[in-house]
Amino acid sequence: MKILRQIEYKPARVVGGYTDRILRVDLGTQEIAIQELPPDFKDKYVGGRGYALKLIWDGTTRETRYDSPENILVMASGPLGNEPAFPGTSKFIVGTISPMTDTFIDSNIGGHFGPLLKLAGFDALAVAGISKENVVILIDGDAQTISIAAAPAYDRATDEGALSFGERLLKDVNGGEYGDSLAAVTAGQGACNARFGIINSLFFDIRRKRIRSKQAGRGGTGTVMRYKGLRGIVARSSLSKANGNNAIDKEGVRQAGSRLKAVISKCDPQQLSMSIWGTTGLSEYMDKFHIFPINNYQYGHSPESSRLFANVFLDKYFSKNIPDGCYYGCNLACAKGAENVELTRGPQAGKVVDIDGPEYETVGAVSSMGIFDPHFVMEYSWYCDEYGIDVISTGVTISFFMECFQRGFLSADDVGYELAFGNIQAADRLLHEIASGKGFGKIVGQGVARGKKWVAEKYAARNGTSEDAAMAELDKFGMEVKGLEFSMYITKESLAQQGGYGLALKGPQHDETWLIFIDQVHKELPTLEDKANALKWFPLIRTWFNATGLCKLPWIDVRNPEAAKTAEPAKNLPTLAYYVAYLNATTGSNKTLEDILDDSERLYILQKLINLRHGKGTRASDQIPLRAMGPVYFNEYEARAEYYNEWLKQQLGDNKIPASPEQRHKLIMEKRFEAYQQLCDIVYEKKGFTSEGIPKRETVEKFGLMDEQARQLLNESGS
Amino acid sequence: MVISIKFHGMQRAVTNTDSIDMTITKKTTVNDALEYVRQLYPGLHLEEGTIIVAVNLEIASLDRVLRDNDTVSFLPNIAGG
Repeated sequence: MKILRQIEYKPARVVGGYTDRILRVDLGTQEIAIQELPPDFKDKYVGGRGYALKLIWDGTTRETRYDSPENILVMASGPLGNEPAFPGTSKFIVGTISPMTDTFIDSNIGGHFGPLLKLAGFDALAVAGISKENVVILIDGDAQTISIAAAPAYDRATDEGALSFGERLLKDVNGGEYGDSLAAVTAGQGACNARFGIINSLFFDIRRKRIRSKQAGRGGTGTVMRYKGLRGIVARSSLSKANGNNAIDKEGVRQAGSRLKAVISKCDPQQLSMSIWGTTGLSEYMDKFHIFPINNYQYGHSPESSRLFANVFLDKYFSKNIPDGCYYGCNLACAKGAENVELTRGPQAGKVVDIDGPEYETVGAVSSMGIFDPHFVMEYSWYCDEYGIDVISTGVTISFFMECFQRGFLSADDVGYELAFGNIQAADRLLHEIASGKGFGKIVGQGVARGKKWVAEKYAARNGTSEDAAMAELDKFGMEVKGLEFSMYITKESLAQQGGYGLALKGPQHDETWLIFIDQVHKELPTLEDKANALKWFPLIRTWFNATGLCKLPWIDVRNPEAAKTAEPAKNLPTLAYYVAYLNATTGSNKTLEDILDDSERLYILQKLINLRHGKGTRASDQIPLRAMGPVYFNEYEARAEYYNEWLKQQLGDNKIPASPEQRHKLIMEKRFEAYQQLCDIVYEKKGFTSEGIPKRETVEKFGLMDEQARQLLNESGS
Repeated sequence: MVISIKFHGMQRAVTNTDSIDMTITKKTTVNDALEYVRQLYPGLHLEEGTIIVAVNLEIASLDRVLRDNDTVSFLPNIAGG
């Protein structure tokens, strides 16, 4: 491998979860620098998402776009991100200015890269600049060197694949063998041709004896990586992963971890059984409650859905009886995978591959295209990962164009073929066109927000109508907010989750808030006030997980039986107490849950300020498609007319519902729209924002964020 | 009078069926249905605090009286990834 620049360094020791160092690499100048952080930096910005936010806030401007040289690609773990004694550690955050939303995006990702980066001496890696040639970065804590090297060239298929390239790279830098002292992140060729490119996190699974992968899927982080000319990054350290955070109170960590492990061992088999079939178990429950995003979120339930339930993947594909954590010590072990699956479609048909996943989101994405073929799910999962494109945005964008086809906004002449819901051949063809940037894939690879504009222009020109009128119609069912496609849940019957998606700072991704069941099914949030309180609390606690290097699933998807005795069982507070204990034992702090929420709120407000700077921080940017509020088209109302009529009766009380179904449908949508606006009003008030969704001065000052940039921004915004 | 008890997810691996019927009286409650299933399938581990009960897709309390043709499900708490 041709080394272009190299420095020697002495790795900092991890103490209490931190090294207090950031590795900065400028690919334009090939400068490599180690930044020492002041002691109060971690107190204020915690780690993970917090570090990414602060680096982006200080290092970029409102003019910065995803392809600007000054855009920074940040990868940061957190103080709790490396501890096999506690379940669900090893998460790290990728944060940058997004090609989808044009503002801050972050995506969390598992695997071994975050822990190894930390052991190699860094709390975060920040990559700026654009390289003239394709390169890789090698962070070698064992050799005590950091290098920028020319990206190795293998064969075309390997070079274009994110998984294939990463596997070869990991062997190349380790004497031709895999090992668990090194891990890589890579981006594939698809990330060069689509805005929703992902970053794969590759690590050696000593039980399966193969390289496995996890993905930072949302918002185009892989597209940024490839635009910078960065093919991959390898981190290596042979230091022991046991007590990887070098906790201040090791016994406290052990106790907190064993308590959480005991709850998982006892309760997961009785609940979602994630340790057996991963997140695919959700499909059945989503379908049962009309939340499965079938045909671009038109219908939440189908008689065909059972073909995509977890038992199908468990019986036909998943390798069984292998502990599947994406890091050591996690007994939730939800990272399922399959070996020796033969591809039957696409350019690599006939090849036998190992597949990591599918996750629920992959299954949901395929259902959004009206497809219920489990083998297509497997192939779709592998191709998306190999190409390096997001399973969610790919599926939602294809399904948006399918609905354009269904409703006459597009014809076969526009696409080049019949793009109907349920057409596997068309969906498969389009998937490969997106990745290769060819044919109709060039348009679809831009995502729903830009796709709407393209369709509106085309439709208006052909029909002699105005683009605005066409756009107004497309806005109803184009499932994006702030430029990011919805993740795979129908929100029509959960006002709280409508807010969860609409108010999410990065766009409609469920890792900020997921309230559908406690709202729609459990009925635990009956009033607007209840929903608004949840829309403040849950994003803050979830932000904390993204700042500390933790997976949320052991907390949120395994209900501690003790939670039933608390006033708000959905918060699962008995389990959160283990997390607070883990934090304090690791860092030597003495924080309460309230302290943690305050820390998170600072990060939340900082992210809101970045959104404001980039034109995505006001009420207008929090509006959601009518499809997300209710049955926007009559066919959706008709599919559940009895349910909707009953809902309307309850809303109107003694007043009679209108006689005609068309009038009922219209009234339902008016009431849904009105409720969403009322919800926004209350949530803004609770978050310390103006009615336009802009942070008030006192809110910014409260969290010590009123620097010169914030002051100017608020002056311009009239806050 | 008869109700249907549906099984989901891993429950089916224990029961080997999607659903069973249960004959009820005018006084049969959700708790009676829960006890019936517990006795029929001890391997299901339906413990309070770890599951919720739905009747006709609506969450129901254990003392709810069941009616003819009701559908009962024992569901996990789902709170999102």
